Amino acid sequence: MRKYLSIIMTVVLLTALLAGCSNAPDSGGSGDSDVYKFAVFAPITGNYAEYGKGFEVATQMAADEINAEGGIDGKEIVLEVFDTKGDPKESADISRRVTENDEYLAVIGDFSSSNAMANAPILGEAGIVQLSPTASHTDYAGMNEYMFSIMGRQDGEAPFFSTYLLQKYAGAEDVGVIYINNDWGKSAYDNFMLQTEKDGLNVVSEENYVEGEKDFTSLLTKVRDSNPDTLALIMHANDVALIANQVNQLGWDVNLTALGPGTSMQIIELAGENVERLLLSTPFFITEENEEAWAWSEEFKSRAGFEPTVHPAVAYDTVYLLKAAIENIEGDVTRDAVREELQNLDGFVGLTGPIKFNESGDITRKYLIMEIEDGKFIQKTEFDYVD
Amino acid sequence: MISNTFENVKKIYKKHAKIINIVLIILLLIIPRLMPNSYLMGIVCRILMYATLAGSLNIINGYSGQFNIGHAGFFLIGAYTEAILATTYGWSFWPAMIIAGIVTSIVGFLVSLPTLRLRGIYLAIVTLGFSEIIRIIALNWTDVTGGPMGIKGIPSPELFGFRISGPVDYYYIFLIVGILFLFITNRILKSRVGRSWISIREDELAAKSLGVEANRAKSANFMYGAFWAGIVGATYAPYYKFIASDMFTLDEGFNILAMVIIGGQGTLIGPFVGASIATLISEVFRFASQYRMVIYAILIIVMMWWRPQGLVGAYDSILAGDDKSLKKRKKSITQKVGDN
Repeated sequence: MRKYLSIIMTVVLLTALLAGCSNAPDSGGSGDSDVYKFAVFAPITGNYAEYGKGFEVATQMAADEINAEGGIDGKEIVLEVFDTKGDPKESADISRRVTENDEYLAVIGDFSSSNAMANAPILGEAGIVQLSPTASHTDYAGMNEYMFSIMGRQDGEAPFFSTYLLQKYAGAEDVGVIYINNDWGKSAYDNFMLQTEKDGLNVVSEENYVEGEKDFTSLLTKVRDSNPDTLALIMHANDVALIANQVNQLGWDVNLTALGPGTSMQIIELAGENVERLLLSTPFFITEENEEAWAWSEEFKSRAGFEPTVHPAVAYDTVYLLKAAIENIEGDVTRDAVREELQNLDGFVGLTGPIKFNESGDITRKYLIMEIEDGKFIQKTEFDYVD
Repeated sequence: MISNTFENVKKIYKKHAKIINIVLIILLLIIPRLMPNSYLMGIVCRILMYATLAGSLNIINGYSGQFNIGHAGFFLIGAYTEAILATTYGWSFWPAMIIAGIVTSIVGFLVSLPTLRLRGIYLAIVTLGFSEIIRIIALNWTDVTGGPMGIKGIPSPELFGFRISGPVDYYYIFLIVGILFLFITNRILKSRVGRSWISIREDELAAKSLGVEANRAKSANFMYGAFWAGIVGATYAPYYKFIASDMFTLDEGFNILAMVIIGGQGTLIGPFVGASIATLISEVFRFASQYRMVIYAILIIVMMWWRPQGLVGAYDSILAGDDKSLKKRKKSITQKVGDN
């Protein structure tokens, strides 16, 4: 028994190694091929797998649509998805693999800032664009000229949240802030605090928690003691729902506002009545009136099996962004030309709104104010609410 | 069949030890020249890095029989120490690496203090808690560690004016650290200190009665293992140029532990084998997309069933330390207590 097993194991390992060899990237150039090939870096396994799945489905959807209409100047788009497991070590290795193969014109991804920033020096040195839909670290896009992000800078949303949502719209006076302590939450919080100082908004307490926290009771009790009239929650959908439920359990009557989750249905599904009248800001909103976006959301649901959040929507836009950039190229389509045209792209309007890169390679978005009424998101302001 | 092959290989190795070692070293030195592909070299670098890291855990788990599952914590301290010294204070890589090793070693000593009376699962829980505490400190001590933003722009090491960057060059740093680790550890294991660790693993009470100062030996063991984890952490930080606390979670600790167990505890070569296999499997099965980690898990289960002591795990392995005396000891123990 052991003997056979050991033989089988050896065979398996050897075949695996050989398979690895054949998978090894060929360094031969193929710039003249009749397809445009993009590498998609996404966490297909690991802790962020749900987002990776969203990336995969959304980018493929965009590619299918473009190919169905004849591709880019007659050439098809081919996406190759690489699983980075949310691990910067793996994604750095994959980045090297991509840089050694001339086939790939650009990289879409990675999901997390840690990964994107580990890839940045490698991809930048090789001169290949990394267009991340979601990396939100403030320093990421500035790392070198090949790095782009379309999540929207936090020095755009957080000041909007303070000046327009909290003060102009809701008329808040004493605010308690709770934020998630990760790169995104911290930079949103810092920008938010800067703006409140400018505006003279009274922040009575500020607390943070580590990702994965489930019981916020003690934290909420502490914030309650400082007696705010409004809570500003800087965090993702799950946590907003948890806090809304726990605020209700405490029997605490306080206005809730949230920065970060966007119009995620999860909030309403998980917290139901407890999030009635919750105010939040979002860069885009899909309504039944907006047919194109509604059709996109339905299509995404049927392909992925779950409701789209903002993450797949921005991932979807990256493919169209690259298409627009390539169409603007006049000479040969090279990696450098893609970067050049991406940087200079003007007048692009995607699913998630207008996108125009600033010099460091990220964008400042405009935001809407939303309110939850009768278990539905209701749009309260237009993009021109900012004066 | 397999054991015969091992015996034969061992015999051949013993006969021509010097030549084989020299050929091996030359081969290792010219690998980057034969294979100047930075993707493949990147994987080789990852294997070498994990090999030394798993080796340093093996010092603690395999040789003194303590059970540490919080090795990611030591790894983190090494990486952050180097990164902070290099970015905030502008230190050169080489002294920063040594300091990182020493700092980690001191932390290792502090962790060992409250755990001297603990064994097995109790010790495991303490080290697990330690690892998380360290990670959360790194996440929250924003002034020093950059908090959730991590530390970016860690400068590449320089040697005689050459900037060592990218896996083809960086390979040599990982290789030299790995060889130094093996060489020094091999010497230590054959010394009085190393033998006292092994005696504690085999039977702490008996070791004490023979005059081994168990507490001191265990502390030294933790410090030595932590030192190398710190060194590896310090070489890791400038290689990836960016570190953040989410790179050092408990998952990472379990990953290192898995390598030690797959390869074989209590042998010098085991962690190297374990690190190679774990890294290669997850890389080779990349085409399987979301089933990749399932395949990885199944292979580990099969391997554990097939060789529960690890692939090369046996106390009579070539590099298990002073093999003759060990074999004798094992024989005498087996005679006394029966084979278990």
